[in-house]
Amino acid sequence: MIKKHKNLLRYSFDCLSRYRMRSAVIIVTFLIATTMVSAVLFTKEGLEKEAEISVRMAPDLTVQYLKAGRVAPIPLDYANTIAEVEGVKSVVPRIWGYAGISTYTFTVIGLDTSLIPYATFGSIESGRFLKPDDAGKGNIVIGKLIAGLLNVKVGDDIILLSESVEANKFHVVGLFSDASSIYTADMIVMSIQDARQFFRMPEGYVTDFAVYVEDYEQPANVATKMSFLPNVRILDQDLLLRGYKAAYGARGGIFVTLWTILLVGAALVAFSQAVVVGHESKFEVGLLKTFGFSTLDIIEVRLVESLVLGFFATSLGMVLGYIYAAYLNAPGLVDILLGWAFLPREFRLPVFVSWTSVFSIYAVTVIPLMITTVVPAWLNAITDPELAMRRAAA
Amino acid sequence: MIELRGVSKIYNKGKFNEVVAVQDVNLKIEDGRIVVLTGPSGCGKTTLLSIMGLILTPTSGDILYDGEPVLGYSDYWKTIFRRENFGFVFQHINLLPQYTALENVLLPLYARDSDPSDFMERAVELLSKLGVIERANHLVEQLSGGEQQRVAFVRALIKDPKYLFADEPTVFVDEETSRIIYRLLQDLRDKGKTIVVSTHDPELIKIADQIHRMERGRLLQTK
Repeated sequence: MIKKHKNLLRYSFDCLSRYRMRSAVIIVTFLIATTMVSAVLFTKEGLEKEAEISVRMAPDLTVQYLKAGRVAPIPLDYANTIAEVEGVKSVVPRIWGYAGISTYTFTVIGLDTSLIPYATFGSIESGRFLKPDDAGKGNIVIGKLIAGLLNVKVGDDIILLSESVEANKFHVVGLFSDASSIYTADMIVMSIQDARQFFRMPEGYVTDFAVYVEDYEQPANVATKMSFLPNVRILDQDLLLRGYKAAYGARGGIFVTLWTILLVGAALVAFSQAVVVGHESKFEVGLLKTFGFSTLDIIEVRLVESLVLGFFATSLGMVLGYIYAAYLNAPGLVDILLGWAFLPREFRLPVFVSWTSVFSIYAVTVIPLMITTVVPAWLNAITDPELAMRRAAA
Repeated sequence: MIELRGVSKIYNKGKFNEVVAVQDVNLKIEDGRIVVLTGPSGCGKTTLLSIMGLILTPTSGDILYDGEPVLGYSDYWKTIFRRENFGFVFQHINLLPQYTALENVLLPLYARDSDPSDFMERAVELLSKLGVIERANHLVEQLSGGEQQRVAFVRALIKDPKYLFADEPTVFVDEETSRIIYRLLQDLRDKGKTIVVSTHDPELIKIADQIHRMERGRLLQTK
């Protein structure tokens, strides 16, 4: 039986090369659809991975003050109360907000450098992180995206405009590495003294507290113990992660859904293409049956054809999707996927390819293609060969 | 031996466009004969030929090969039976246009558990015998009608079938090809093959052992 299957395999490959138009239509249709699905899916996964990295760098808990239900500056003396909660290791006051340079908006974080562990912000690519004696000196550490956009390096000065449109000069002492690009890409870190002056934050108040818990404690338990504090909102890492994933995941999800619908459409195009050349196909199936090809032989031939076409088009589509997202930065998609963040479109999309995505893409392409090519072939094959040929000729 | 018992074929049975193509045909064909079905166009010759070749299921009746009723067998069984015993030559030739003459000839062998190239010698022999060996590697569209019909004969005979069904094999071909075909059919008969041909060709009718005239789906007379 091996020789027969070899023959059928050879015949399938022959069909692919001889019916070039049919093969080309199916390949091009699936190529376009899988390129887009892959780009969205790989980017969505990349963003989610980035979010996970970012959240790992965030404090165990973030405590914000609520006034009339909205976030407001929190009195600095809350820090003492929070520090007394059992399981709290350290409380770091932060002053943060957004600043504009040219048409871009960046995140500015001011912190007490003597209190925060260095590793919290990830690694430094060049220069150094802030030291305790940087307080009030206008020294900053910036993300790579900002450095690229403004064409600055360690040792350069940059001007930031405050809310009152006053120019503030800062000196770049360090550059974050790519390790957590989404977290640090648009970030400017300075001392809390500089941030207070920049944002005109009143003395005795800060934006929020970064709270770190003891190793033996669960952040959620500590958060529960803090619930006695009036008018505060406590965010843990899980909540931040859900927020990130809701933003990027939902956007990606919508697009994946849309493109999956398009893929089904593509399968229908492939099906209609099979119908267009149906006369040829029906005739061929009828003829093969006359020669003694069984229904299973014909299904095997068509199955191999659709598998080869499907795997080829999908694999190529995935490669192109990766290139489109990772190297071309997904023009047309990047704004939509990153719309929730303040990240400029120059931000390089993080792209991640998982086995789950790869299998999912193969599943939504190859299976419908198999069905839409094998089913008509099977229907033809179970018809009397003479009728199949006569209908094809009609 | 082929035997048909009360075979009828009705298309669109019970509908407004019902067509009775073959009606209550009884026929016996001994082995090693040339049998001709003749009659006006649309009288049911092609349908009857297709029914005998098991590529069309009759509405009623039975077909026996060597005394064995075969219609009750599965589609798979009939496919294998066709593969091992039948050769077909169609009125419209039915070569696959994307393939060369030689590739068309070898096509029926792809469904067998053997290497089609094992039959190359036989293919060359038959193509030479029918005078189309020099066209072996030409695409079908590059062949004349007569050459295509000769290639179709080679394709039908490549597996050395016991039964050959040929539908109007000389209708679109020149005199020379017709003569080649007459000679070929006689050679096959001499080798004990059974040939059933539908035709209007008087020369072909002359070499037949059995002649059956059909009209409106019925077998009218037998010679």
